[in-house]
Order: sequence, then structure tokens, then C-alpha cells
Amino acid sequence: MSDVDDSHMFDSDPVEQEEELEQVDEGHDEVRAIGRPQDEEDEEDEDEDDEEEEEEEEISGKKGKKRAKHRHKRSIASRFVDLEAEVSDEEEEEEEDEDYGADGFIETVDDADDDSGRRHYALLDKKRQMEDEEDKSPEQIAKDLSERYRRPAVRYTGDMNEVPQRLLMPSVNDASLWQVRVRPGRERDIVFSLMRKSIDVEYTARPLGIFAAFQRDSLPGMIYVEARSSKLVSEACNGLVGVFPSRGITLVPIEEMASLLQIKKQDLTVTPGSWVRIRRGKYAGDLAQVMDITENGEDVGLKFVPRIDLTPRDDAAIDAAGKKRKKPVTGAATMRPSQRLFNYEEVVKVWGRKQVSKRNQVYVFQNDTYKDGFIEKDFKLSGLILEDVNPTLDEITQFTRRQDGGEADNLVDLSIIAEASRKAAISVLQPGDHVEVFEGEQAGVHGVVEEIHQDIVIITAIGVDIEGQKVELQARSVRKRFKPGDHVKVMTGQNADETGLVVSVADNVVTFLSDMSMQEVSVFSKDLREAAEVGSGTNIVGNYELHDLVQLDAQTAGVIFKTERDSFRVLDQNGQVRLVQPHQISMRRDSIKAIATDSEGHEIRINDNVKEIDGEGRKGIVLHIHQSFFAFLHNREIAENGGVFVTRARSLASVAPKGNVMRPGTDLSKMNPSIGAPIGGMVGSGGMGRGPRDRDIGLTVCVVKGPHKGYVGTIKDVNGTIARVELRTGNKVVSLEKDKMRERLPDGKLVPLTGRGSQSNRGGYGGGGGYNNMGPPRTNYGNGASGSAGPPRTPAWGGGRTPNPYSTGEGRTPAWNASSRTPNPYALDGGKTPAWNASSRTPNPYASGDGGRTPAWNAGARTPNPYAGGSSGSGGASWGGATPGRNVSATSAPTTGWGGASPKSTGWGSTADGWGSSTQNPWGEWGAGAQTPAATAATPAFAYGAPTPAPMSAPTPAPSGWSASTPAASAWSAPTPASYGGDSMIGAPTPAAASSEWHQTGTSVDTEMRPDMWIFSQACANYQQRMKVMVKGTRIANYLNGDYEDRRGRILGATQVADEFQQTAMVRFDSGDERSISVKFLVPVLPVDIGDEALVTGEGQTRHLGKAVVLRDRAEPGELVTVSTKDSASTLFEVQTDSLVALYPES
Amino acid sequence: MFFIKELTHTILLHPSYFGPRMLSFLESKLYADVEGTCSGQFGYIIAVVSILDIGKGMVLSGSGQAEFITRYRAIVFKPFKGEVVDGVVNNVNKMGFFADVGPLTVFVSHQLIHPDMRFDSNSNPPSFASDEQVRLSLQLARFFSPLIFLAFSSIPLLDFLSALMCSYILISQIIEKNTRVRLKIVGTRVDATEIFAIGTIKEDHLGVID
Repeated sequence: MSDVDDSHMFDSDPVEQEEELEQVDEGHDEVRAIGRPQDEEDEEDEDEDDEEEEEEEEISGKKGKKRAKHRHKRSIASRFVDLEAEVSDEEEEEEEDEDYGADGFIETVDDADDDSGRRHYALLDKKRQMEDEEDKSPEQIAKDLSERYRRPAVRYTGDMNEVPQRLLMPSVNDASLWQVRVRPGRERDIVFSLMRKSIDVEYTARPLGIFAAFQRDSLPGMIYVEARSSKLVSEACNGLVGVFPSRGITLVPIEEMASLLQIKKQDLTVTPGSWVRIRRGKYAGDLAQVMDITENGEDVGLKFVPRIDLTPRDDAAIDAAGKKRKKPVTGAATMRPSQRLFNYEEVVKVWGRKQVSKRNQVYVFQNDTYKDGFIEKDFKLSGLILEDVNPTLDEITQFTRRQDGGEADNLVDLSIIAEASRKAAISVLQPGDHVEVFEGEQAGVHGVVEEIHQDIVIITAIGVDIEGQKVELQARSVRKRFKPGDHVKVMTGQNADETGLVVSVADNVVTFLSDMSMQEVSVFSKDLREAAEVGSGTNIVGNYELHDLVQLDAQTAGVIFKTERDSFRVLDQNGQVRLVQPHQISMRRDSIKAIATDSEGHEIRINDNVKEIDGEGRKGIVLHIHQSFFAFLHNREIAENGGVFVTRARSLASVAPKGNVMRPGTDLSKMNPSIGAPIGGMVGSGGMGRGPRDRDIGLTVCVVKGPHKGYVGTIKDVNGTIARVELRTGNKVVSLEKDKMRERLPDGKLVPLTGRGSQSNRGGYGGGGGYNNMGPPRTNYGNGASGSAGPPRTPAWGGGRTPNPYSTGEGRTPAWNASSRTPNPYALDGGKTPAWNASSRTPNPYASGDGGRTPAWNAGARTPNPYAGGSSGSGGASWGGATPGRNVSATSAPTTGWGGASPKSTGWGSTADGWGSSTQNPWGEWGAGAQTPAATAATPAFAYGAPTPAPMSAPTPAPSGWSASTPAASAWSAPTPASYGGDSMIGAPTPAAASSEWHQTGTSVDTEMRPDMWIFSQACANYQQRMKVMVKGTRIANYLNGDYEDRRGRILGATQVADEFQQTAMVRFDSGDERSISVKFLVPVLPVDIGDEALVTGEGQTRHLGKAVVLRDRAEPGELVTVSTKDSASTLFEVQTDSLVALYPES
Repeated sequence: MFFIKELTHTILLHPSYFGPRMLSFLESKLYADVEGTCSGQFGYIIAVVSILDIGKGMVLSGSGQAEFITRYRAIVFKPFKGEVVDGVVNNVNKMGFFADVGPLTVFVSHQLIHPDMRFDSNSNPPSFASDEQVRLSLQLARFFSPLIFLAFSSIPLLDFLSALMCSYILISQIIEKNTRVRLKIVGTRVDATEIFAIGTIKEDHLGVID
């Protein structure tokens, strides 16, 4: 067997392959019919190759035929192929010698003798004895020699065991066997024709001269004729249709003659009940069970699972004619239907009732019979694979299943499988395996495999009496042994790589509990080995793993709940189960961070334990969350889909709220959160969080200088003093300096950007430093601070409480309760401020409509404001007006507060335009301004600003109230931050709330916060004429051309009038002239020096409200100041400077 | 089987935790880290009995974190093959049942349950019981109710009854959720972080316990 390589070359011959496809192959072909050109020396090597190759093929179970036809082709090819690449010349030589010897036994003794030294065929000797050694002539010897060398050949590898048959082997003296090409499929007919012909002419003058003819099913397209010469054969075949003598009548070598007639024993292994595989066709590779065998042993009745096309092409289905009935069977082979038990209803539905007929218990469909769901069909033995069937347990269990789905008892004889797989079992044994002997003398013994030699194993027995002995056994009689509890791994088969713990062993079937799926799996023990590791491989196919969330297409994602050999079962979001191949998965999705909301609004994450609140109430662990809507859950107790199911996240509820599960497991290797928290709090709070974004971004601005003057645009970005403005015209973005633009309010007013700047500094207000970049306001404020809460430490700004300008100096206005209502500075009611009841209405003590009663305190809580214009707007107007008025009570009061502070007027001046325009309506023609706030609410400046002064100015210190009505933008915004900064104390005053309140609550709100009405408060009533007030805010409102701005004076008289009317007060200015001034422009003047007389008006000063006091200390705005009552200088107490109004000395 | 075992655990401590409460941080961290965990080598760490040495706390260069190698003594539970343990049935299905033996889950396959105990698919909750026993229990109930009265009048009959009762109790094993069972571990699968075992009740003195 030294020339193995040749066969490879020939195997690759395309023609030959084609032929092989044509031919009907059989496992037991041992005979090769080869044609051999008689006189071509050139061909000899080829022949040799050929024959050897064929030998080779015999061994490998393949078959060669029709070789002769392609001889030339091959020889041509072989000339260019180094066939001897691995065969040395000596070997060739030797082989020829051997061949010589091989022939010798048939021929001469001499040769045989020559060779006998090298020959070891027992055959040879026997043959030699038979030969008559003496009666050979030299000619004969020469002929033999030439014969021998011309036809070197084949070592006969036929069955050597059958000694008696060997004696009957044909010799050269016998007639030769000739191979004749015929039409495939007609072999048998032709043989019969030959026979008849032979009989016909037997006793005629010219008998056929052939002795025998036969054909083999395994060798289609050829018959064999025994005759003395090829001429006789061609004569015999002459005239028969389907015989092709022209294609060559070739001699069959003597050695092969016998094997041509040999019937392989294996044929006998086909017994009813055994397993075979179908070799080709629709059922190629399918396992079938043998039911019966015809007597000639050629046809086998099989039972197997049918593959019925349930989605036939329309024409095939519609056409019920018998003619086309076969068509789908052969034609529709493009897609192989899946294996499925025959179901009458299904088939009838698809194919029509006519196609299926029923006889007894059997259905006939497309000429096939179906019983119990299986197809029963006769196959030729040649169309079956009998060896290496290796049925898997799964395949076999299919047979155990009946059509109705129930398991039939013991339909399968496992021993048959065991038998079939026994050979394979030998190969899987490894030294060290625990095995047990299950047959033979040693049955029952178990031990450990020590050595394996071919199919002999040596085991060291473990057992009672032969402990430690080495026993030699047939490999086929041992099998691997497992005990319950062993951890095993599947090596081959569908469950390959699965691991688990053995729970039971029944003969050679081992049942184990899979580690991964927790399901029981039964496999043959031969497929198992003990394993230490936990199998993971079984759940990974390609890049995907069990329970992965995979994207199937753009809309669909699903979770793998079962992995098979090379595919997955995926449960998609719609609850559909799909079988997908790895390549059908576009990607794996990660939902580690995905969060969904459960039915209670809690978030659920992966690995949470949840439960359905509706439906089946299934529990499970969240495997994946898809689109925050679908949750894939897993619960081992659910058998369906491997325990995976999909639900809507909304219908889930947490089974065990995690709460602070993480709490104890705080990661100590990370920053201590409790240390980090305060820092974070600072960072996150207030202005810093918003710091990076400039307030101006997004503003609508109008360019007032430069080439773009007049353009309107939106600020897109700010960098220092440069802003990038997207112009509305031309859709351009230009960089401009900020001071070249003005904010453009919705009503067309222009406001300087710088004026708004404070808004971006809101957070910093509490520190006082926030004011630094605002010159005028700062001054303004500073002044104001002298009479009110000092900016640097105004609790109002920092703590979010608005200090009451009239408070006694506790720094905390009691009125500022949690309801964050503006306290009524005029509350007369000593210790309590009933105004601040829960309803939080500010009572208007002066409600004229109610005449004598003090509606302020009524339970109605909504005090009609007699001064309200009927519209919210008017109320607001009076607000603003009144606020400034508050301080204008004592002309003699030091003017540090508001008076002559020039910076303040600067502030005025610089911002007057802006405010003038924007506040015109609110402060000016207020009656019409009802809608103004609404309109302006959208504008940031106004939204913040406008409502702020209204609700805020009253409670906030005078300066703020004051500044509210002043144009100083910073002053505007000043209260705003307070409301922002105020974390909890002041809820209402946030701009939004304030502005909405402005609109919605209308007068009630206005009533509640009417600083401008302070003049009319009862507290002031007694001292009204002495109160020192100052005119503020007229310029911005263009009130009386602003002529009276900053002028001080005392109130000669003021009477509250109906809301519809403007509240005015007659003021006698220090200069001596008198003028009726709208109260909203009057603010109180704060007392400053020791000895100054003042009136306590502020809210919170309930005890002293309305008392005239004398300053015993120098007053600082925003601070407490020590005062005493005028009557008794010894009664000292402290009040908030801001809540005082300077009084003129009694005249 | 339970053991008291000395073990070590390494804790990394961020500098922000340094300070007076450091030790308590470490202790709580240790408890949180190790209790209830499972290592293949030692089994389940049930509880830390005592901390032998909290460790010196080496500050690691680079990170500034301190590494404490803590020695502690803990009760560990490690199941062994052949060990007989008591457990509570957690889940019953066709294949068998899962029983919780403390932190360990043991699966008892139906093949390792006495063959006359069948999975009763009609029961709720699912259970294992045997047909004959179910029938027997019915018969006994019918049988007993009249006899109970007689029993008080006759001592031998009482004996007989109690004997019957005993046998009845012995055989009336129904395995369902929360049934307590005694089982023998026949195999364990030990991973790095998990131990799983299969058990059997198909031997003498195993099965339902009262």
C-alpha cells in the first residue's frame, strides 16, 4: 500500500467525481471491473496505478468504476503529475516484484519458487501444489512471464479467511469475465435478455458461447459476461438494446472475479428494527428504522419521519392531477422541508383532500404511505447507509413519539442504538476512564482503563475479589461508568459541552442535571467524560450567549433562551419565539444601564426581582430591559422558553425593594460620600450650577451701534464682552461687543444687557460681592442698606428670608412663615399677625369698602382692596408706588438712605431708559397695564423683575422695594435672587410663581402685598402728618416729569380711596411747596441719627407697631437699632432700622 | 458541614475614611463583604465570629488607599459528598425538587426519590406523593373515624391504632414546598462563587422529617 497518493489525484478528477455521483454506490463493493488495454506498454504503469488505486478505494469503502473510460485522460493527466512523489523507485521495483509473485501463484512454479522467499501468501503455496509443475513448456513460461510483467498488478486482498473457497478461485484456464457497458438501469433486463438469447440459440449452429452473465446493483451501467474471449461477448451482445460494446468490453482480472460475486456479510446486518440512514434524496442523512427486508435482501422497508412540504408552490398544490403529483417530490427539492410527523389535517389543508387518501390506518399521500405520522417506504439497500449510523438520542426519541404526541412505551430498543454506537464507544475510551464490563465473563467488573490497544483495553479492576488485577478486555464490552453525583461533560452530540451532575445511570444512558439550564439531559455514557469545570461553552454560539439581549432587526430585539448547536432560540419583545442563526443577529445589546419604570413608578434595573401585577403574576429576575418598556424576565420555575418571558415594565412590581441594599456595601475604596456631600451640595446649589451658562444667551437683542445697528438677533454665545449674535436677518451669526446691543423685550423696548447682568450674579448676591459689577445699583443699594438690611449679611438674601424692613431687628420676620406670605407691615395686632393666616391673604386694613371694620383680619382672607383698580395690574401699580413711599416719612431723617445718593441717580440715569420702557405700563398707566405683566412675563427680565417687586417689595427691605420700582436693574433683580436663594422659606416669591400669582390671584395677592399702601396703615395713621417720605421712582415712571424725584417732605394728608383711583397723598416738601403725589412714589425715609424720632411701621414689629420711638443709637440700614419710646427713655428695645420711618419733629 | 475557620480578607480604604471611625468602617465593611458569600474552597461563610486582627493598613503608593489585610474567624458551611443534611423544599417540579440547605441549594432528582413517590402534577402546590399512599390515607381516614371512639374503650385496639397511625405517618410522605426533608448529598459542583449539590432521598432514613 505504498501508493496511496495516487488515489487522491484521481479522486480529484472531476469527471470521475461526476461519475461517482451517478453511480449507485454500495458499501460492499469489492469488485472492481477494470478495462485493461492489452498491448500498451505505456499504459502499464497507469494500470498499476489504477488498480492499486482501486485497491485503495476498496479499503476506504469507496468505489471506482468506469475507470477504463477515462484511462487516457488519466494517463495524460498523470504524465504531468508526479505520481511517484512519495513512492521511491525501489518501492516501485519491489512492488512489481510482489506483483510478479502475486501472479505467480496462478502461473508457474519456477516463478513462484523464485518469489517464494518473499512471498508469504499461504495462498501461493496451496496454489502451487495444485499446479502441474512439469507440463509447462518454455513457451508457456515465456508467455507467463510476459503476462506477468505486462499486467503487474494487484495484490489480492480479497477475503483470505475462506480457505475452501480459495480452492475454487478461477484461474487463467477458466473463462474470463468481461465487463460490458450498458445503459444504467437496464442491467438486469439486459442480463435476462442475454439469458433468453442464449437459451434461444443454444442448440442452433451458432450458440452464443458465453457461459454466464450477471450484474451487480452496486455497479450500475455494467454487466459481466463470462466468456472465453471478448469477441464472443460482443457477438452475444450484438443486437441488444442498451448495450454499448463500443465503449469497450474489458477483461476483469482474475483476482477480482471472485469479489465481483461476493456478497458482503454486512448486508445481513440489516435487521428489522435496526437503524439506517438514507443516503440521498430529500431524506438524505435522515435516520430511518428498518421495518422489513425483502427476501432478496435488496429492498428494505423503512419507517422514518417525513419531510412534507407544507408550503408548496401554488401550482403544485392546486394541481391535483396525478401526472404532476410527483413533481413536488422531485422538483421542490430546493428547500428541504423540515422533519415533521405526518399530520392529516395539516396536509389536507395545504394539499387538498384529494391528495390524501386513507386506507385502514394508513394514509396515502403522493404515493407514499404514512402510518402513525411516519412515512413507510421501501428503499433499495444501496440507497442506505448502514455503517456509522450513530443515531442520536434525539433522533431516536422522535421515533418513540407517536403522532398524538404521547410517548409510546418502549418502542425503541435502546440496545439497538447501543449496538450501533458500540464501535464509536471504543474510540472514546481514554486511559483513566472509569469503565464497567457489561458483557462477557467479566460482566459486572469495573475498573480504570490502563491501556488501550486497538480494540483491547486493559483495565485495573476495582472490586472485591479481583481488586487491583489487570484485566484484558474487548473494548466493545466495556462502557464508561458514571455514578450519580459525578460531574460530567458531554463531548459530542447535540448537547456537546454541556456539563452537569449525574442524577441517574441506566445502562449506557446517563441522565444528568445541566449546570446551566437546570434541566435533565440524557446522553449515552460514551459521549460523556468526567469534568471538573462548569460548562459554559454550551451556552455560547458565536459571540452570543444564553440570555443575551440581541438585536434581530431594527424594530425587534430578543433574548436568547436556548442555544443549540449553531442556532439560537430567541424570545423577541413581542413574545414570539424565533429560531435564529448567529448571522441573523445584528448586534448584541447591553442593557446594564437600562432603567425602566415599574407600575409604582419605581425604577427597575437588571437583576431586580420583580413580579407581574397583572396577567399571570409571574415572578422573575430582570434579565434585560428593552427600550425602557419591555422587560425580559427569567424564572427557572417556568418551563416555557427556558424560563424567559417578556412583559411590559409598567406591569411589574418590585418583589423586594432594594432600598439601601448597597448601603452596607459602600465601597470604602472610593471617596467617602459623606465627606463629599457638602462640597457637592455647594457646587450643585444655586448659581454655580448655572454658572457656566451666561444669562444673556438666548436673549433677543437689538444692535444699537456699529454696522449692524438696528439688527435684531439672538445671542448664541457669550465670551467675555463679546457675544455671538444670530441675526434674524440674513441668518448670520456675528460677533459683537455686548455694549453695542440692547435686549429687546417682546414689546419692543430695549434694555441694556449690562443692566440685566445681575441676574447672572444672582447666586452671589448674598455675599454682597455680587453687586460689584453693577455700579449704580450697588451704590443704590448701599444707600438703601443703610436703612435696611445690609446686603452683605441680609438674611433675606442668604437664607431666603426676606427681612422685614420694619422688623425689630431680630433679623427674622415672624411673618415669614413657611407659607412665605408677605407680612403685612401694617399689622397693628401686636403680637400676632393675623394677616398671615393660612389663607395668606393680606388684609387691607384700609379697605374703604368696609368702612369701619378691619377687613384685613377677616376670615375671608381675601381682602378686597379698595384701592385696587379692579385689575391686577392696578394693584401692582399701587404696590410699586407705595413702596418707595414708605420711607418718606420724615423729612428730617438723615438722607443716607435714599436721599442724595448721587450714585443712585446714576443708577437711575443709566437704566432709566430700559426701565422706563419696560415699566412704563406697570407703574405708569397702571390701569391699562393689567395685561402688561402677562405680556412681559415671557421676557426674562420682566418675568423676574416685574413680579418680583410686587410680591417682594413689600416684605423685602425698603431698598429692594424701592429699587423695585426704580429702574436700576440690579435693584430689580435683587429681590429675585432672594426668592431664588430662599430655599424653602420663601416658596411663593420665585419669579414664576410670583408672576403667575400676579395674574391669577389678582387683587388678593395685590392686597396682600401692598407696600405702597403703607401710608394708609393704621400704624401710620396717628403720625401720618409727620412721616418723612421721599419721592422715588417718578423719573422712571415719568411721573410729573420726574421733577419731584428724591424730594422729601411730610404727608399732609392721605386718604385711601377706592381701588379704581390712584392713591395719592398730599406732600409738603421740605422746600415748602405742596403737591399731591401718587403714593406709589412715596417711600419712607429712614431715621439715622441718635435722637431722631421714628415710627415703627414694619411688620413683625407687632409689639411696637405704630409707636413713635426715639433712636438711641445710630441706625444702620438693615441692622437693629436701639430705640426707646418717646415717653419713657428708659424703655429700650431694638427694632429693625428698615421698619422705621423717620418722623418730623412734632410741630 | 460547619467549620470555624480563620480567614483573611483584604480591604482597601480610601483616605477619606481615615480618622476616628476608621475601625468601624473596616468592621462593617468586612461583615458586608464576607458574610453570606461563598467561596468554592471554604464554602459558604455564614457569619464572622470574631475579628482577630484588623490589619496594619499599608498605604499604597499611588492611590493613597490603605490596604488592610484582616484576619477573622468565621463559621463556614461546606457541603460534602455523602453528607446527610436537612433542608427545606423550595421548589418542586417534574424533574425533582430543589431544597434549601441553608444557603446551599440541593437538587433531588426524581430518579433519586423513591420510585413509589410520583410527581403529582394535579396537586397544588406541585408535590411528590405516591398513589397508593394517597389511597391508603383515604382509607385510613375512613377507617379511623369510627374506630377512634372504640379506641378509648379498648387498650389493645389503641395500641393497634397507634401502630397503624405510625405506619400511616411513615408512609404519608408528601413532598411539596416547605416540606422539611433529610437528604444525602451525592454530588457537589463547586464553582468559585457557588456551590450546587444534588442529593438523594432514596435511602434509608432519608426523606420527609417532621
